Amino acid sequence: MNKVIECKNLTHYYGKKLVYENLNIHLEEGRILGLLGKNGAGKSTTINIMNGFLQPRSGECLIYGENSQNLTPETKKRIGFLIEGHVQYAFMNIHQIEKFYSGFYENWQPEPYWDLMSKLKVTPKQKISTMSCGQRSQVALGLILAQDPDLLILDDFSMGLDPGYRRLFIDYLRAYAKEKNKTIFTTSHIIQDMERLIDDVLVMDYNRVLAQMPIADFMGNFKQFNFEVENENVELADADFIVNLERVTNQVELFTYDTEDTVKAYLKNKGIAHKNFKQIEMQLEDAFIGLTGKY
Amino acid sequence: MAGYLLLGLIAVGMIFIKVQHDFTFSGGKNMWNGILFQYYSYFSSFKFIPLAGGLILGISQFFPETVEKRIKLTYHLPVNENKILLQMMGYGTLILAAAYIVLFVFFWAMSSSFFPKEIVFDALTSITPWFLSGFTTYYLIGLIVLEPIWRYRFFYLIVSAFFITIYLHSAVNGAYITMNFTLAISTVISSIALLFSGYRFRKGEQ
Repeated sequence: MNKVIECKNLTHYYGKKLVYENLNIHLEEGRILGLLGKNGAGKSTTINIMNGFLQPRSGECLIYGENSQNLTPETKKRIGFLIEGHVQYAFMNIHQIEKFYSGFYENWQPEPYWDLMSKLKVTPKQKISTMSCGQRSQVALGLILAQDPDLLILDDFSMGLDPGYRRLFIDYLRAYAKEKNKTIFTTSHIIQDMERLIDDVLVMDYNRVLAQMPIADFMGNFKQFNFEVENENVELADADFIVNLERVTNQVELFTYDTEDTVKAYLKNKGIAHKNFKQIEMQLEDAFIGLTGKY
Repeated sequence: MAGYLLLGLIAVGMIFIKVQHDFTFSGGKNMWNGILFQYYSYFSSFKFIPLAGGLILGISQFFPETVEKRIKLTYHLPVNENKILLQMMGYGTLILAAAYIVLFVFFWAMSSSFFPKEIVFDALTSITPWFLSGFTTYYLIGLIVLEPIWRYRFFYLIVSAFFITIYLHSAVNGAYITMNFTLAISTVISSIALLFSGYRFRKGEQ
């Protein structure tokens, strides 16, 4: 598989505040990668570096083998970029903006754009600035699809969208990407959206990467076990296999990539009396919180 | 810019209504005396009209690019980033030049209907730096508005304000005749100033 995006040893600071150090990311052709992280974890920083809007303190991001700080027009043609908030040239209407963009791309394919526009209840001369956030998202998506890029970079595509438009956006996008072997790098605040969309997950926390793997592996291997300890004051010492531990009085939530047997053996060896031990089935959002913690 | 041009034409028209008024009520002899010996400038109220055009166009063209960082869309177009900024600036320059040509020709025609060509020539050389101030204002607005850091914007604003005053020192007929070429060079140099702010934005200065 060809690497479409390859970020090597990215390090960035805002002033003296470290965002991350030696971050490595790669994305292979035809895959959809979801970048998850809390606010301030560095998602937008990463997107900005990839698009050449931010120079990292050190390291580099290669897009189709070119440094993202100096992308050639030919490579930019291969990248569809959705800006956070579905920002567009809002003073234009849907006809004007289609005409404007089509002049920049030889392989412009207007059909998917007009297909999406036909679903919107907008008048032909209605300016984008007067549209709802959901309608604007469809305009932005339609323009990207018409561009027919090989790589789509979507910065928080779900921002401001109601559930219906989010579902429409995701379903349309995934079908399009899989049918045409497109590569997608995306972030979203709404993690349950990602579960329907992505092939690979990258979870970032402050200053580091917590997980980068196919989502099937992540959801298959990352587990949550709940139990009640009989002694509220018992120390649950850190062990290598424990990824995160959330505790409220005697209720314990333990997150691990290891097996139920390992956890039980650990509790037994430590002599920690407990009851109601059970594995909890997780959605992606539960797993994300389990991995990054609630705080 | 159509609105600006209309207002500009009205302003020029007002200047010559006043000239007509002065000829009628003060008499031609006094007008000539004032213009030739007392440095009276019949067009001094035209001074800030070109500057206003540059200001209006610069803000209306560049400010929306900074709202929600829309300039990212422009930079993402498959064109070299500096080239697209220069194209934006070139487009604005053409619009501004078109408006200025109309104002200049109208001013020339109106002046010629009242004064001999020597006085008209001096008047035109006097208003030339004002037009240059309009272009320069437009270019420096690009520098200021596209700058990503507010304190730098204030700094550029102060420096620009002082710089622009060079173009507006005197309204005396023909006073700028030896300076116009130098001022034109300064204007041309200032036209690429926005590339610096554009570069700083792309490097992620904030």
